[in-house]
Amino acid sequence: ENREAMLNSKSNRLTEALEEANRLFDGVCRAREAALDAQFLVIASNIGKEKANELHSEMSAFDSTAFAEDLLTFMGINRTEVEETDDSEDVPGGFLPNDAWQTMGQEAPKYFRRAPTFHYMMGSFKSELPVRKQRIERQKKASRGKAERAMPAQLKKMEESHQEATEKEVERILRILQTHFENDPNTPISFFDFVIDPNSFARTVENVFHVSFLTRDGLAKIKLDEDQLPIIEPIKPGEGGEEDSRAGARNQVVISLDQKEWK
Amino acid sequence: QVSELVQFLLVKDQKKIPIKRADMLKNIIREYRNAYSEIVKRADRTLQEVFGLQLVEIDTKRHMYILINKLPHAEGQHLCRGKEKEKMGLLLVILSFIFMKGNSVKDSALWEFLHLLRVYPGKQHSVFGDVRKLVTEEFVRQKYLETTPIPLTDPPEFKYQWGPRAEKETSKKDVLNFVAKMQGKDPTFWASQYSEAQAN
Repeated sequence: ENREAMLNSKSNRLTEALEEANRLFDGVCRAREAALDAQFLVIASNIGKEKANELHSEMSAFDSTAFAEDLLTFMGINRTEVEETDDSEDVPGGFLPNDAWQTMGQEAPKYFRRAPTFHYMMGSFKSELPVRKQRIERQKKASRGKAERAMPAQLKKMEESHQEATEKEVERILRILQTHFENDPNTPISFFDFVIDPNSFARTVENVFHVSFLTRDGLAKIKLDEDQLPIIEPIKPGEGGEEDSRAGARNQVVISLDQKEWK
Repeated sequence: QVSELVQFLLVKDQKKIPIKRADMLKNIIREYRNAYSEIVKRADRTLQEVFGLQLVEIDTKRHMYILINKLPHAEGQHLCRGKEKEKMGLLLVILSFIFMKGNSVKDSALWEFLHLLRVYPGKQHSVFGDVRKLVTEEFVRQKYLETTPIPLTDPPEFKYQWGPRAEKETSKKDVLNFVAKMQGKDPTFWASQYSEAQAN
């Protein structure tokens, strides 16, 4: 009891209480009374600690009321109008606009080094996206052009499902890779040479996408050559097996390529 | 393993709740426990070099980590989901109050101050909703604030201090500058806070 009164830095109540406890202790002859005395000491010392803390926090006087006023000003308070609320009795008058905290929110991040939260842009791929159809058609055109460097033939209408279309693409790319390798078995192809389409960034990205399927399914592997550049080569059907299930199986690589770099 | 860990950390950081080492070991590192420190070191490097973020241990006993931004805050609009920015505004105000008042305030003092800003613990706020929950639970869970009960108080009272995330994401100096800016004064106006901020 009387905690607040004791905390008042100007009061000596705590000292007086301690002195009285001292006097009383002389008359103590039972264990229970001694325990009470000990309890009192604990409370007294806690109060003492709090008092000491408050001394420290006097520091350079900080007027929190003035600070609050200044914050409200910053947030755009209009002091000429009076807000029609019930609690305006004890709160200084003025109309605080709805975007008050937005204003503060514009200023606040400057003082923090907060990591921006990471979110996937579009979520995971779904195989049936209507957009894909057109892009695959164009992809077919371009890839054929890559292999033969001839004018692309007229495209027939695509009737297969999109899932199959992707698989077909992947197969086609695998065949291109294998053909190249048959002709020249000891020279792995530079990964970038293989996937980059000099005429289209979008198709380059698609090529990377299709190649990733090949590596995932263990049909091709990507290694680093002496210059630490990635090269790609197909995996012969007999190869792989045990080795893949340990080392190769769970590697992930993030390759970033933006338009500037591609150019 | 490293890229998996990087992704794991980025996703885990969304809620701004510290990441436990135990979770990292269980979900990502698994059989490669011996290489743990090497994997973490490389993940941190990737985070720094690719994303400009840093993995920081805030609790060496219980091994908890947070991600902070290595780069100084860039000017301009930033995409923020939900009420992130407004919450940061409220948090900055609270952190300023705590620091200027000597690094520790009683909950009653804090609410008394927020009262002046039309923010009340018992009343639903148009922007923040349940403010009491935001301050006493969300900010505390995210380690922006730390709350400790004051012993032998009945009804129980609490004191508020800066949490370890606040210590890492901002500084006394930055916060003092904010106060000075709001009040149109020089930071040196508050001599002891200023020297404490310099020493930090």
